[in-house]
Amino acid sequence: MLDYEFLLDDFFIALSGVPITLLVTLISLGVSIPVGFIFAIFRLDKSRFWNKIIGVYVSFVRGTPMIVQIFIVYSSIPVLLKSFFVLLQWDTDIYKLNPIWYAFIVFSLNSIAILSEIFRSALIAVHREQLEAAYSVGLSTFQAYREIIIPQLLVVAMPNLCNATTNLIKATSLGYAMSLQEITLRAKVAANANYNYVEAYIAIFLVYLLLCSLVEYGFKHYEKKLRFYKFGTA
Amino acid sequence: MEKYFDVAYIVTSIPLLLPYIEITFWITVIAAFWGTILGLLFAVAKLSPYQVLQKIAAAYTTALRCTPSIVLLFMSYYGIPLVLSIFNISLDAVDKSVFVLIAFSLQFSNNMCEAFRTAYEAVDPGQMEAAYTIGLTQLQAYWHIVFPQALVVALPNIENALISLIKEGALAYTIGLIDLTGKANLIIAGNYNSHALEVYLSLAFIYWMISLGVQKVFYRIAHIFSKGKRLLLS
Amino acid sequence: MLRIKNVHKSFGKNEVLKGIDLSIDKGDVVVILGASGSGKTTLLRCINFLEKADQGKASFGEVDLDLHQAGKKEIQSVRKKLGFVFQNYNLFHNKTALENVTLGLTVGRKMPREMAEEIGRKALNKVGLSDRYDYYPQQLSGGQQQRVGIARAVALNPDIILFDEPTSALDPELIGEVLGVMKKIAREGTTMLVVTHEMSFAQDVANRVIFMDQGVIVEEGSPREIFSNPKEERTKQFLRRILPEYTYTI
Repeated sequence: MLDYEFLLDDFFIALSGVPITLLVTLISLGVSIPVGFIFAIFRLDKSRFWNKIIGVYVSFVRGTPMIVQIFIVYSSIPVLLKSFFVLLQWDTDIYKLNPIWYAFIVFSLNSIAILSEIFRSALIAVHREQLEAAYSVGLSTFQAYREIIIPQLLVVAMPNLCNATTNLIKATSLGYAMSLQEITLRAKVAANANYNYVEAYIAIFLVYLLLCSLVEYGFKHYEKKLRFYKFGTA
Repeated sequence: MEKYFDVAYIVTSIPLLLPYIEITFWITVIAAFWGTILGLLFAVAKLSPYQVLQKIAAAYTTALRCTPSIVLLFMSYYGIPLVLSIFNISLDAVDKSVFVLIAFSLQFSNNMCEAFRTAYEAVDPGQMEAAYTIGLTQLQAYWHIVFPQALVVALPNIENALISLIKEGALAYTIGLIDLTGKANLIIAGNYNSHALEVYLSLAFIYWMISLGVQKVFYRIAHIFSKGKRLLLS
Repeated sequence: MLRIKNVHKSFGKNEVLKGIDLSIDKGDVVVILGASGSGKTTLLRCINFLEKADQGKASFGEVDLDLHQAGKKEIQSVRKKLGFVFQNYNLFHNKTALENVTLGLTVGRKMPREMAEEIGRKALNKVGLSDRYDYYPQQLSGGQQQRVGIARAVALNPDIILFDEPTSALDPELIGEVLGVMKKIAREGTTMLVVTHEMSFAQDVANRVIFMDQGVIVEEGSPREIFSNPKEERTKQFLRRILPEYTYTI
């Protein structure tokens, strides 16, 4: 039956992948929160051109499998970089690039689309009247966003942001396709020696369960605080 | 010298891929069928007055929410034969698609459970009371009043669940199932790994069109069922 | 026609009804007054089994039953004798005005559709909505929705119609149309039990007024007795608060 000793060992091997998983998640969120927000504002302003372009981009990202997006980026970036480097006559071997850079690119591109949709619907929920009220007391657009719109928007968007974050963490498990040394790949490789795959996937499952539960708990906690401070009610 | 990127490959690989939509289609339909039934059962459990059922359903949804699809897929692929081997049941003769179906039925059931639950909770309890006061039985009240209203609320979530089922299904290639993605990888292998990008682009295009098609169908359904409800949704 | 005895109901530690006795005869229009939180709405909901009373007996005509222990069948049969009009209308969002009115007939009583629709149209005509049969609730004003709510109750031809603050959710300018409809059906001899804050309705239409406070019936009598000559101090206080002109009794 199950090799419990290996299960325990592999649990810690899987745990050792958590920093990489979190790093990719945080960098992707760090890039996609501001960019996604700007995209969302672009789309509100109905200026046809940008609205359309971003709309197509969002639709593509939401309409295609994550793994296919990874395939595309993983097979196009080297080609792009190569021609770029040849042009500059740089002598860098692009195939030695750490896969984590690919991961940053893929997951950022994906999250930008997801987050821009979340921000867009949240903006629609708080936008017009609050903005007008802020103008009426003499705030500039920038001040209105900083003081009024964004704090309210965060409250509205928080549950969806929590979902997006856990989905992103789960999606990094596909990093194996780029040889990213995250949770899943590490635990699986360790299992190759004796075909202990069941143990490996149980270990991986436990690590994700732990990680996602912590993230969800963190968001819930923060959301409560946010609601309380921003609106004075729980 | 060979070109890095050749548009012709995008066009020529589409007809090679198209027949495999059938596999993806059947995986989706069967997983959606079982997932809906399971999801309904767990939603009923979550909404039931029995603490034990609520706890079981909550544990089930938390576990599935935190598990990446690929991990679930391999747990199904390696785990189920192991568990059944205890009872001396061999699954060697069972087709790979069965494990794929089990994994994605579970995944889909989780999304459907949440869709059903939130939709049910969105229907004002006063609707049920009003139905009682005009002499309807509980069953009649559910059938004529609660279900039709809940369905409209649930539709966007069902649509999302279905699209994500189709997209996650792309991972079935990892255990050797030849669906759309599996075929794309075969074509690339047949090209000695050249022109992968072009094949992946046509693969992405096909998935994209399928997603847009599903969206269109749901838009129609929502239009049919949302009579008298538009204000309620906003 | 309807007798209820010793109804008790608590929500947690909060005792909302502390032993209510009430009887209504055919053709009565009984208005229950009282401050909010006095238990009026809960009493109505207990009579219709929307809340389960902790204790209490009821008799509808010849049928006796226990408000706490009644079975599904009994509840169903009582509900068929009672109409209910909600404060927030509770029209079925997915049904048109006419479907709202006929659903209880076609589904609840298995009446053929044409017959039900004829009754439904008559009921809607009665409340002045002959031009709104095919409108969905969201396309109607609050006053119109509540009139559909009344038509829905009337169409079932119940022995008694219970009104739970039918005008409280309405804008002031819409209250009149609903009260007008209620007066009209009262004059036609409909038996009604009405919880309301509309004193004019109580004075003009009711033949009996009940004043409730803190879960008990403090005083009851004809509108003239209650408004002109209340005996209890609590009633006087309430009327003074509600009707500033009350001191100038006629």
